[in-house]
Amino acid sequence: MTVIGRAVGQSVRLREAPERVTGRAIYTHDLVLPGMLWGAILRSPHPHAVIRAIDVSPALAMAGVVATLTGEDTADRYLNYGPAFADRYPLARSRVRFVGEEVAAVAAETPALARAAAAAIRVEYEPLPAVFDPAVAVAPGAPQVLHGPKLPWNVAQHTTADWGGVAEGFAAAAHVVEGRFEHGLVAPVCLETNGVVASWDDAAGTMDIWAGTQAPFFARKEVAHLLGVPRERVRLRSVHIGGGFGGKSQSPEPIGICALLARKAGRPVKIVLTRREEFLGGKTDHGKVMHLRSAAAADGTLLARHTDYLVDNGAFTHMGPAYISAVRQRTANLYRVRAAGFDGRLVYTNKVPGGSYRGMGAPQIIWAIETQVDELAERLGKDPLRYRQEIANRPGDVTPQGFRISTCPLVECLEEAGRRIGWEEKRANPKPWRGVGIAAMINPSVGVLYPEGNFANVALTLRADGTFLLGTQAADCGTWQNTVLAQFAAEELDAAVERIDVLHMDTAEAPDDLGSAASRVTFVTGGAAIDAGRRMKAEVAARLAALWAVPAEALEFAGDAVGLPGDNARRLDWPGVAALLGPIRVEGHHVIDLPRADPKTGYGHYAATYGFGAQAAEVEVDPATGHVRVLKVVVVQDMGRVINPAALEGQMHGGIVQGIGMALSEELVLQDGMPVNTSLITYRVPRIFEATEIDCAFIEQPDATGPYGAKAGGEHSINPTVAAIANAVAHATGIRFRRIPITPHRLRDALRRKEARRLDLQPWRRPYNLEVAAVRRLYPAIVFPALKKLGASLQRERPRVTDFDHERPANLAAAIEALNRPGRRAKLIAGGTDLLVGIRQGIYGPDLVVDIAGLAELKGIAVGDDVVRIGAGTTLAEITEDPALHAALPALAEGMELVATQQIRNVATLAGDLCQEKRCWFFRAALPCYKFGGAACPCYAITGDNRHHSVMGAGRCAAPCIADAAPILVALDATVIATDGRRERRIPMERFYRWSGETVLAPGEVMLAVEVPRAGPAQAYEKYAQWRGDFPEASAAVRLRQVGGRLAEARISLGGVAPLPMRPKASEATLLRDGLSDEALRAAAEKVVRGALPLRDNAAKLDMVVAVTERALRRARERLQARPQGEDERGAQE
Amino acid sequence: MHISLQVNGTPHRLEVRGAETLAEVLRDRLGLTGTKIGCNAGECGACTVVLDGRAVCACLVPTPRMDGAAVRTIEGVTPAEGLSPLQQALVEHGAFQCGFCTPGVVMSLTALFDRVRLPSEHEIRVALQGNVCRCSGYVRLIEAAKAAALRLAR
Repeated sequence: MTVIGRAVGQSVRLREAPERVTGRAIYTHDLVLPGMLWGAILRSPHPHAVIRAIDVSPALAMAGVVATLTGEDTADRYLNYGPAFADRYPLARSRVRFVGEEVAAVAAETPALARAAAAAIRVEYEPLPAVFDPAVAVAPGAPQVLHGPKLPWNVAQHTTADWGGVAEGFAAAAHVVEGRFEHGLVAPVCLETNGVVASWDDAAGTMDIWAGTQAPFFARKEVAHLLGVPRERVRLRSVHIGGGFGGKSQSPEPIGICALLARKAGRPVKIVLTRREEFLGGKTDHGKVMHLRSAAAADGTLLARHTDYLVDNGAFTHMGPAYISAVRQRTANLYRVRAAGFDGRLVYTNKVPGGSYRGMGAPQIIWAIETQVDELAERLGKDPLRYRQEIANRPGDVTPQGFRISTCPLVECLEEAGRRIGWEEKRANPKPWRGVGIAAMINPSVGVLYPEGNFANVALTLRADGTFLLGTQAADCGTWQNTVLAQFAAEELDAAVERIDVLHMDTAEAPDDLGSAASRVTFVTGGAAIDAGRRMKAEVAARLAALWAVPAEALEFAGDAVGLPGDNARRLDWPGVAALLGPIRVEGHHVIDLPRADPKTGYGHYAATYGFGAQAAEVEVDPATGHVRVLKVVVVQDMGRVINPAALEGQMHGGIVQGIGMALSEELVLQDGMPVNTSLITYRVPRIFEATEIDCAFIEQPDATGPYGAKAGGEHSINPTVAAIANAVAHATGIRFRRIPITPHRLRDALRRKEARRLDLQPWRRPYNLEVAAVRRLYPAIVFPALKKLGASLQRERPRVTDFDHERPANLAAAIEALNRPGRRAKLIAGGTDLLVGIRQGIYGPDLVVDIAGLAELKGIAVGDDVVRIGAGTTLAEITEDPALHAALPALAEGMELVATQQIRNVATLAGDLCQEKRCWFFRAALPCYKFGGAACPCYAITGDNRHHSVMGAGRCAAPCIADAAPILVALDATVIATDGRRERRIPMERFYRWSGETVLAPGEVMLAVEVPRAGPAQAYEKYAQWRGDFPEASAAVRLRQVGGRLAEARISLGGVAPLPMRPKASEATLLRDGLSDEALRAAAEKVVRGALPLRDNAAKLDMVVAVTERALRRARERLQARPQGEDERGAQE
Repeated sequence: MHISLQVNGTPHRLEVRGAETLAEVLRDRLGLTGTKIGCNAGECGACTVVLDGRAVCACLVPTPRMDGAAVRTIEGVTPAEGLSPLQQALVEHGAFQCGFCTPGVVMSLTALFDRVRLPSEHEIRVALQGNVCRCSGYVRLIEAAKAAALRLAR
């Protein structure tokens, strides 16, 4: 037996690193085949509708369109064909069941043409009632989506189990905790959207596919099924994959569609989903309503747990049954529980079908369980960490669901996590608004979830030059899988790891493997790689033994060579072996061969072994805004043996930061089943400022069942993160959340319910509020439906454009001429960060864009003695980088640093910030709202998710002003200078916006510059946004001036809370009357919400705007007081 | 319209459409697929290139404007053989996984290092705030950037 460690246990670098860091790696998006066409998919705009007719002739009439595909072309074949659950065609037939469902596809010569042609297809729909909430879907009378065999409408599957003694456990309990836990849809958000290239060889009858899929095995099976050809005629090819996380598991829908389209077109076709399509039609995690009950004896022993789940299946069944099985196995296996029961219903709704996302439900279930463990600890008067150690699983345990626990250092993991976070000290002496929380996890290595079993095969070839090629069908989506598999083979052969190349995905070069999912590659495919190494050795030894006439057993594989120990003549390096014996190919196999669990109850040993771990999180809560900052996460993970520390640490970091997103910010927001936050601004994945310190440790107790003792690892990191953060938030605030993510709005709402003091809104101060409040009351039942109907016939059309003319005028006069050219729909473009995005969203439809980015007349910053003049076309980066401007107008310079990202600030202009369209997600989703479609249309924010909308001053449109510069320039008393080419107009910033937030600029008018009076440095801008650079939830700009030691002027302007920047005059008056004491500042800040009329979800913005106002006032006061004596008069000399 | 555009020092003459973006031209017309498109809305940073010394999202640059301009892409900052010190640091620190965001990260940091000799961690974060990475958790990205900055400053 050789000593393990030549390759295993080493931080071998990512093999694909050089290609990826240089941009040379080829992903599906990058592929171009000769003669290739571009495909585009037409998707349903309705959550539920009958398809009356589809007319593809307008698309086919377009020059350059080669083929169209509808449900008629797809034969009578379902996707994901399998025994009981097949319910979806590759393209809709006769009915659509969710917004985004694929209805037709087009292949054309260019991507733009394909998109235009898909949009030209005419589909006649008859809308049907739809259902989105799983709890409603199972109630009587709900709209009918689908149902499983012998089940009521909308139930796809119903599984129950009582693994014995649940009722007795609850009857005997000293403490019972019970709770309903909920979360919506979370998306994997791979940076590379789903894409596929399909190429059909008609003569040979074969199909080649390059695609982002984690499992070529399943993709191949699907394509063969849809095409009606033998599996062997379909080949999945190797390509780099830009992230998986479950989002590319099995066979993503575009693969089958693209294959069908390519065969019909007779040419290769490429389909790449847009980011919006990825949210609409890429599978999300399943939403869940989880009802948990846990019972404990007086000494803390967990007597029973019962879990009752409604799992949102979406409109079709994909991963749902596997998901039910995955969530069921989490009922009572983490911690010692005596008895357990489960009731799980998989429920159809008119939403995007659920898929798998890292953890497969575990992060949310563990959050619910760990919340209850904390609650029990509190009831029992025990420390949460010590209590967890008391009830932790231990080696040799058999759980109520039949898991047989082998290696299990859970107690040690908890201990070490506590030590590293400073548990004792931080629990005993918590700092205000700080908290630490702990949570544990269990994950199978690995679950037997596939009908095919759980097997892996690899091919290992010794090539003529003495290198090896390891072929695997499992796809490396970025996990370093290929590196780790090479390490296994190298270790087994005692060969240099560099000697082993890995080819992943290619079904022609590697035998079947179920692919990368469920953390299975290291554990299962790794076993196959070791087996391949073993077989290679046996084959080489047998052949050399015959040649050298020595016993095969005498040959030793060591030091990157093979030979007879002590005999230099009979020792060959690998090139020598290859030269002597020629190429050798072997296959390695590995099967997780366990007795199947009872299919009905799930009772049984589920996996070969189980990994355990603990995470501790420390958070800081801003009570004023509800913002949670994760200060640190400690992860201590039982890994059996660590194969590649660097790779594993990467998995830990990535999973934890995804967990931070899941805990605090990520959720799809739907309006009538349509996701409206389909952008990376509004679907808030963690960015670099959300990245936290992560302390990572592994406990190694090699497990006999794993490859070199390893356990699985890919999903473990995300599993306890949500729970650890939620428990830390509870420690910091005393609040236990029943819904994730814990957004600042929800946290603020919860804190407000605990606070005795209330903000005094005095809505009657704005008489208009009476009218608005009355209309809002009538909105759901009367106004909204009526306007929706009216708008459907009377709405203003906005042309959707795919191309436009672009002109670069030489000077301003030419630009104004172009802008006003008769018969054209011209728009100005400078940074383009609003216009180009808006065109793609369908909110702008110019046929001419007039490029003013380079015009010298619009550029430049001139800091004069009294006035600062900033050209309208000055970029935000130029504003932040100008030292003179910083000194003269610190509020503006600092404020612009908080806008968007470096890339955006580098091109976005001051005028663009002021004139950008509203960011209301209903408007940006091109819903026919008041702003989009005109006065006949409703405002979706009154009834929809309005957390980001205006809390004051809103009438028919509730979209707030999110231009950061707007409140700043109002507070600084700036003037906008605009021209129509004939005369210049000076517009005070305070009058720059109409009540609705539109600018007062005439259609042919161009903003030239902004002039800002210098009034001393006692000015400040404070903003609360969910991530640094995000649009403000609330912002406040302040300017103070003293004359003769007395406050002579206080200007405050608010952003993010009303359709236009608001000046809270009552607050200003308070300051002028009461001065700048802390109390006066607080009082003035609280008065900014006078006259507010919040909507259902945005009351938190009131607190946020009060908080940022107070902060801005304090900072401005500091600056006022920091000024040397005698200088305070300067600003007053106007 | 016709434009003359320099990419990584190589001049190109192209006929472009008004709506065509720099990202599309680089990828589809010039075959420079190292520049990735992750969102086509300026929100993810995968298409970051350097224009006039500044990091910009190529998906938001109208190509007609590029007449007479010079742009640097990931292909232009990669040595003919081996890796640049920045690339080397990213590899050594295991700073990325799937790699789809990585060219954009390299270009954002290239622009930063060209302007700031030894950037602070805060400046590094500001420079990368527009680059979404879903795999790495950013931790080792920051470490690698700091190490590269040190190496380049020496």
